[in-house]
Amino acid sequence: MTGPNATSTCSPAAKMGRHRSKSTSGSTYCNSSPGAESATLSTPNNAGRSSGEEDEKDGGVLFYVNRTGFPIEGVTWERMWTHVAKVHPDGQDMVSKIRNAAYLPKHPVPSVPNFKPSMSVPAWLLAIQNYMKALQYNHTGTQFFEIRKTRPLCGLMETAREMIRESLPIKCLEAVILGIYLTNGLTSVERFPISFKTQFSGNHFHHVVLGVYCNGRYGTLGMSRRQDLMDKALTFRTLSELVMEFEDSYRRYQHTLKKVKIGLYVPHDPHVFQPIEWKYLVLNAARLGREDMRKELEKHGRDMRMKILKSSSAQSPIKERTRGKSLSPHRRQSSPQRRHIHRRDKSPAALDRKPAELSTLNDGYQIRI
Amino acid sequence: MEPTCRKDKVKLNSTPTRGDRAKQKSAQQELKQRQRAEIYALNKVMTELEQQQFEAFCKQMQSQGE
Repeated sequence: MTGPNATSTCSPAAKMGRHRSKSTSGSTYCNSSPGAESATLSTPNNAGRSSGEEDEKDGGVLFYVNRTGFPIEGVTWERMWTHVAKVHPDGQDMVSKIRNAAYLPKHPVPSVPNFKPSMSVPAWLLAIQNYMKALQYNHTGTQFFEIRKTRPLCGLMETAREMIRESLPIKCLEAVILGIYLTNGLTSVERFPISFKTQFSGNHFHHVVLGVYCNGRYGTLGMSRRQDLMDKALTFRTLSELVMEFEDSYRRYQHTLKKVKIGLYVPHDPHVFQPIEWKYLVLNAARLGREDMRKELEKHGRDMRMKILKSSSAQSPIKERTRGKSLSPHRRQSSPQRRHIHRRDKSPAALDRKPAELSTLNDGYQIRI
Repeated sequence: MEPTCRKDKVKLNSTPTRGDRAKQKSAQQELKQRQRAEIYALNKVMTELEQQQFEAFCKQMQSQGE
């Protein structure tokens, strides 16, 4: 899971209606404040910003993205170590212990799961999930693979191949891309992204998992710091049951669900130039009643199953936009396909009180997902 | 120019040879392997830190609740 956002992508005054959300650049898996620290900057105090780069935040804590491939080049590498030295209580001692070690154990490269026709779908999904777990969740503060969400699917599949080649820890967004890649071709399984925006202790957090649908059942693949916010078995009869399960899991970590975004089925053809549709249905959980949310999710699930939904990008390909470039007037118009639905906020006062109470309990620790 | 002169002429071309490229590739592979080992060693430490902080937070929440 990644970071908080400073600004919302959707207009807070928007009511039920269909309009195009503002696009965010892919590797931000969160909305970010303007300006950026580029991996190519040579001095840490360089105030200049390269266009298109964005700060990344994870629960208020900056995280960095490796944008220059492998082996990781000097600036990005040093930045990773500088960051962890600040974050870890043992600081530079911990860093030196690892960097100066004459011998470090070689972490085994997990075998890429190999699909056999005799395997059941649940067994295959389990194999994929186990593979991702073997890569491990990335706690270093530097994301090793850059994911631009607006990239064509074929480009993202190339990144998935790189993830397998380099075999390094991953985070939630990378896990979604990898999950898509490893389920490509299994045409009985439909895949679609499910994004969550939650609030904890005054900060917003973003997370994404890969929804899967097969033979009348829903489940998920994914990676998270929390075991119950990643993979879910293919046992949920409806999309709303699955989303409510996530909401309940979030509640265990005192995260309040603010928004849920459901995408469209991802094509199985890895060479498709079309980007992934990440947020076809956007539900404002803070304003919708549970029942309304259930109805919307059921409808979306039915529509997806009937395959009557079409991504707006299928009609007019989305060009990758970097931050700062304005949308053309045409694109600013509401897309008839996108749906934003708001849940009535039933107890705003309680929500307002909670963040203050939580933030006084700890030394700034945030339960990140 | 006479062929013998051409042979004595200092080779100014700095294009890497096949051998150089192979050495560079090997060095890159080694660097990647070392980086990977360091990343996983670091990830182990940071995962443990996160776990400790999470457990401490939960205990604090529990004691506050009591």
